[in-house]
Amino acid sequence: MFKRIHSLFRALARRRDFEDGMSEELRFHIEQSIDDLVRSGMSREKAIRQTRMELGSVTNVKGDCREAFGLHLFDEFRRELSYAARLLRKTPGFTATALLTLAVCFGANLTIFAVIDSVLLRPLPFPAPDRLMTIFNTYPKAGVYRDGSSLTNYYERRGRIAALASLSIYSYGTEIVGEPGSTERLQTVRVSPDFFFTLGLGPAIGRTFTDEETTSETDHVAILSDAFWRQRYSADPNVLGKQIRVNSVPRTVIGVLPPSFLFLSTDARVFLPLASRMEDRAPSRRHSGGNVIQMIARLQPDATLAQAQSEIDAQNAALEVDDPQAKMIADAGFRSLVVPLRADHVAAVRPTLLLLEAGVLVLLLIGAVNLVNLLLIRASGRVKELAVRQALGAGWRYLVSEVVVETTLLTFAGGLLGLAVGAGGIQLLRGLDVDRLPLGSRIAFDVRLALDGLAGAIVMGIVFAVPVAWYQLRRHPGNALQSESRGSTSGHSAQILRHSFIVAQIALAFILLAGAGLLGLSLQRVMAISPGFQSDHVLTGQVLLPWADYPEAGRLKFMQSLTDKLNHLPGVLSAGVVTNVPFSGNIGKSAATIAGHVRRPGESARGHYSYGVDGDYFHAMVFSLRAGRFLTADDSRRSARVCVVDEDFARYYWPHANAIGQLLWDGSEAGKDAEAFTIVGVVGGVKQAGLTENEAQGAIYYPYAFRIGDSVFVAVRTSLPPESFALTMQKVVRQIDPDVPVSDIRSMDTRIADSLVARRSPALLAGFFSGIALLLTSIGTYGVLSYAVTQRRREIGVRMALGAQSGQIRIQFLALSLRLLTAGTVLGLIGAWQTGRAMRSLLFQVPPLDVAVLAAAAGVTAAVCLAACLLPTQRAAQISPMEVLTGE
Amino acid sequence: MDKTAELLPGTLDMLILKAVSLKSLHGYGVLQRIRQISGNALEIPQGSLYPALYRLEHQGLITAEWGQSENNRRAKYYTLTAAGRRHLRDETASWNRLASAIAAAMNTTSEEV
Repeated sequence: MFKRIHSLFRALARRRDFEDGMSEELRFHIEQSIDDLVRSGMSREKAIRQTRMELGSVTNVKGDCREAFGLHLFDEFRRELSYAARLLRKTPGFTATALLTLAVCFGANLTIFAVIDSVLLRPLPFPAPDRLMTIFNTYPKAGVYRDGSSLTNYYERRGRIAALASLSIYSYGTEIVGEPGSTERLQTVRVSPDFFFTLGLGPAIGRTFTDEETTSETDHVAILSDAFWRQRYSADPNVLGKQIRVNSVPRTVIGVLPPSFLFLSTDARVFLPLASRMEDRAPSRRHSGGNVIQMIARLQPDATLAQAQSEIDAQNAALEVDDPQAKMIADAGFRSLVVPLRADHVAAVRPTLLLLEAGVLVLLLIGAVNLVNLLLIRASGRVKELAVRQALGAGWRYLVSEVVVETTLLTFAGGLLGLAVGAGGIQLLRGLDVDRLPLGSRIAFDVRLALDGLAGAIVMGIVFAVPVAWYQLRRHPGNALQSESRGSTSGHSAQILRHSFIVAQIALAFILLAGAGLLGLSLQRVMAISPGFQSDHVLTGQVLLPWADYPEAGRLKFMQSLTDKLNHLPGVLSAGVVTNVPFSGNIGKSAATIAGHVRRPGESARGHYSYGVDGDYFHAMVFSLRAGRFLTADDSRRSARVCVVDEDFARYYWPHANAIGQLLWDGSEAGKDAEAFTIVGVVGGVKQAGLTENEAQGAIYYPYAFRIGDSVFVAVRTSLPPESFALTMQKVVRQIDPDVPVSDIRSMDTRIADSLVARRSPALLAGFFSGIALLLTSIGTYGVLSYAVTQRRREIGVRMALGAQSGQIRIQFLALSLRLLTAGTVLGLIGAWQTGRAMRSLLFQVPPLDVAVLAAAAGVTAAVCLAACLLPTQRAAQISPMEVLTGE
Repeated sequence: MDKTAELLPGTLDMLILKAVSLKSLHGYGVLQRIRQISGNALEIPQGSLYPALYRLEHQGLITAEWGQSENNRRAKYYTLTAAGRRHLRDETASWNRLASAIAAAMNTTSEEV
């Protein structure tokens, strides 16, 4: 079998040699035969005749030889292909419209599919990726839905959950890497020793971390990513054992990961051991997760998720028995949930992506319907030709294969153009920050995608051929010849088919438009929400101080000199620092204990946003002061323990009393009296997680001296556009310490805009899709109506000759368009209602059936469709009876 | 060539294989060789000769190569491949079985029944 295919392809590849060889061989045969016959005494003339007779027709022999190689099928195909190409060239308007429609529809589908494929379909790049799980603690009744896992969880569970083959923890971070003078801030992941084992993919060279390397005295080792190794060490094979400075501490390189290693969405360059102190692993720290540490696990090959979940639940229950805080934890609804890793990672974007995929499929459907309609119209123009050919003996098989070749040629060419559009579309999506989607960095236009696209194009071509072939074969040749020769109207059923296609198009375009409108309106509603501070003219940037160079006292001094310097710069209205700026992406909450607050039955501890502030942070952000005073720079230098809370916090704990002067402790337990903070001010609430955050969890602002973190955000209010201040901000920090970089420099306006990307990009894309859908629908409507006018030229001419006014003709066609439009809109309304219900989770303060949106969508659809009808209608009204009646 | 027999269907391939098994031949040579070895007793349909050669080449039973003919013309020479040799052996064996069975059947006299 293989040999024959090989010989066929060789013949195909050297087709000219094949043909030449065949001719030469036969010529040789004929000449030899003639020579032999002449030699045996025959006259030359007779010899020639005899040879010809014996060999038969040379053309037939050649045909049989080609058939012996299977070449005839290709010859036939090529003939049909060139015929189809000739037909398409003859109607450039139709061909261009069809190709453009296909290019846009395929392109849009490829683009969105590339995203879906990367985010939702392609498995994670690890062995048996569907067995990877993540486990996190949740305290839903305390308003904390996701709290990561604690070190304690890890050490208590490790090796004790039978359903899990392996369990490990990791923690994302950013560290300053490099020698003094050439440092850079890099993303890192701190991992437990079994992390790579859990994933099933470890270093390409070197080894993984050991259990001995999990204390702060012994953790001076690092594993590098392949990219970092190539870029920093020029892929030096002897990198193992070399020193690398991380946060000013030298570490030994012990491994390099393979190029394929990509853990979820992180761009981490350096992996470090997750070191901890023994006391942090104690049972009392079990609920100290705070979303800092995340847990992953690999299920045993024969275990199920439910088994793992029930074993974890059982262990939790057993451990909580002797927990002093057991009651509070139980009241908070505590559970540790086991969730598939990948699904969990992409859960937030899944509905949006599915919605976009649905939208783009609808677009493809509209394009397809449009094309079938145009093809049908085209086919009806050729009914006569085909009838003649059928009458002359062309078989149905031949006619069908001709149609299939033609439509497939069309869709294949459209598919090729679509590849270009898709490649451009993916570039365009990059502009919409698609890379920042979970697993978004894997989105790429590759060969596999291109082949999928072309395969889809071919399938579509074959599907298109079905209605066209059916239309052509269904009528009796004799009838076709007669009816067309009289120039009467076309078949009734074909007309119904065309019209219902138009109705479907209008309905689908309407649904897309209504969906886009709902998304747009949601975006508008979200953007109208106040973040709780004045976001304009504020520049923020993150500063990370290594603990080795900056112990507590050093940090305080650094903050003081930084805020002093910034506040004295020209153009700076006020400047401050905060441990976590709103819209930073970090939404960790922590507990506080209020003096004198007795929990109501069923009430659990609440997580609050807790900040450390220094300098003039409140003025820089323009918070509103409800009572008391703001914290000032001096509060960090004084030993007095004071704090400021927001109005949600005050309202929750003291609904009827004044919050000023009340006492609270940082943490989930009441401490000594001397450690209590006195509330000195109440400020307005601020959105931390995003504009749509609606749970008023309360916030506490401590002086920086009492709440020191790894990094701070600098916030500067400027009189000039804030972006122009970025270089100055970096310069000021570098003046204090040249090795401390400022990262993530963005204005507050930009942070808010970036936080809306998950709403804006889908709304923009949906708007774009519905624009194309409207364009396609108008093309389709125009095409069908033009055809109807052409078909009925004679009828119109006769009627006008008998006294019909052009106005009547115009009304007749306008009425037809209105009928189609009404039917389409009614169907569209039903569809839009269902669509709105399906996308409810993506809407914000917009009902699934918004009258304004539907009215606007109906208006736009009507305007576009009627505009498309205008030209053909006008042409109908201007038909001259004389021309029509004499023309034929 | 006054008394020639029509070829049975399917036997042309076998005869071609036999012809080229003795020596590499060009198409016209195959025709002559079959005539020669059959003692000019077979009517060779020349129109089927070349398609048969191409079919056998396509099946990998013979290979073709360009060479010089006796009178110094360029000609395509066919040679039997290993697969062709095996095929020919099988065909020959089954033909012989068939031929002798039919011959035995046709020679039966009434006494032998």
